[in-house]
Amino acid sequence: MQAHPSYAALAHVLPKYPRAAGSLFQAYNDILLVQQWTDVKVIDLEGVSRAAIAGKKPSTDVTLYVVPCSLAETLSFGWLTTAFTLLSDPAEVFLAITSDDASIVYYKLSRGIVKPQV
Amino acid sequence: MSTEASDPRIHLRVANKKAYVWDVEDIATIRSKHRLCGVFTGTLPHLSQQNLFLGVPMVLLPEEVVLLVENGFAVLIDDPKAHIQPSVAELQRWNSKEKELAQFQLSQLTTALGTSPAVMSEEAIKKRKERELKRQAAAAKAAEAQGALAEADSSIFTPSENAAPPPATETQYTVVIPASSTSFEWYNDSTCLHSSIQSAKEAGIWEYPSNLHERAKCGVFRGLWEQGMYMGGGIKFGGDYLVYPGDPLRYHAHFSATVLESPTFSLTPMEIVAHGRLGTVTKKSHLLCGWDDGKKEVSYLSIEWAGFG
Repeated sequence: MQAHPSYAALAHVLPKYPRAAGSLFQAYNDILLVQQWTDVKVIDLEGVSRAAIAGKKPSTDVTLYVVPCSLAETLSFGWLTTAFTLLSDPAEVFLAITSDDASIVYYKLSRGIVKPQV
Repeated sequence: MSTEASDPRIHLRVANKKAYVWDVEDIATIRSKHRLCGVFTGTLPHLSQQNLFLGVPMVLLPEEVVLLVENGFAVLIDDPKAHIQPSVAELQRWNSKEKELAQFQLSQLTTALGTSPAVMSEEAIKKRKERELKRQAAAAKAAEAQGALAEADSSIFTPSENAAPPPATETQYTVVIPASSTSFEWYNDSTCLHSSIQSAKEAGIWEYPSNLHERAKCGVFRGLWEQGMYMGGGIKFGGDYLVYPGDPLRYHAHFSATVLESPTFSLTPMEIVAHGRLGTVTKKSHLLCGWDDGKKEVSYLSIEWAGFG
């Protein structure tokens, strides 16, 4: 992991949150290299024991937030709302769910009752 | 009928810890004024297995009952207790009324038969008789061909020659059994009326909500209802409720909702994937409804597939 080109950007949080390190590393690489987001930054979220990723989708100018987690974790409603609060309550947060076989899926969480897109 | 002028509250008739509404006016009020749908469970007496066309009584979800009672829109009636043992005089009065009704029906029938023109011409009657004879002959032939065994079997089902003829149509009339008991002299719900959930619980006729999960469901149901939503059962989409932005007859559901009974109640990422993906495929968002029993507050998170990854 340390030899990976992405490691430098994550070096300050990976050892701090070893349990979330795997999913953060995987989500960061996917966002940066596969989804090709720009202005990708890492935000330390101590309250949920991990770091989040902030960035912009290609050719857009809205900062979006990604909170990584592993499929094997157990979360709670309170955990999700804490993540929102720590990110200063954005309209939406993407939850990146990672699994052992390196697959990843993103779900958009919005605070409140938000109508589905037509 | 059941909502008298003195008490505008709807009478919900509780039997076996379920609340029923028997009066169509009350059902209309619950639907249009209080924005609750309930579920029709009454079927047709002679087609009791069909469930395409259901009617009274309407059964309410326990959450709907709690909301109606807590808001003072309805009271709970201990229905078995409201049926008092009728006195002989009451039964006699009822019996004579039934007889009157039967007499009335019969007199209507005879006048109808007397005034209506002959339905069939003589020729038609003759033709019908011929057809009947032909059919009988064919049936006799078929029976003969089938042999002695079949004959012995069928003899059970064919009436013997000296059996009594079926009663003439003149003696037949309809017995009307009213859906609601309110018209009976031996029905009195004023003494077994509960205007709070607590009082109904103490009387042993009602239990909901009895634990944290049920309190959370009531709280979430109320929260969504107060936002103007209509709720239906969520089983079709794997949630607790289907949430409609208006009357379900006019709108598709926008959300399916699950109730999380506390902020620390466990939630696995797999659930988020399953709910989120199903919702997105069916053009719905999934609502996670988090209940905080300490604050008596509900908060919501909407889940949708991100569209990438």
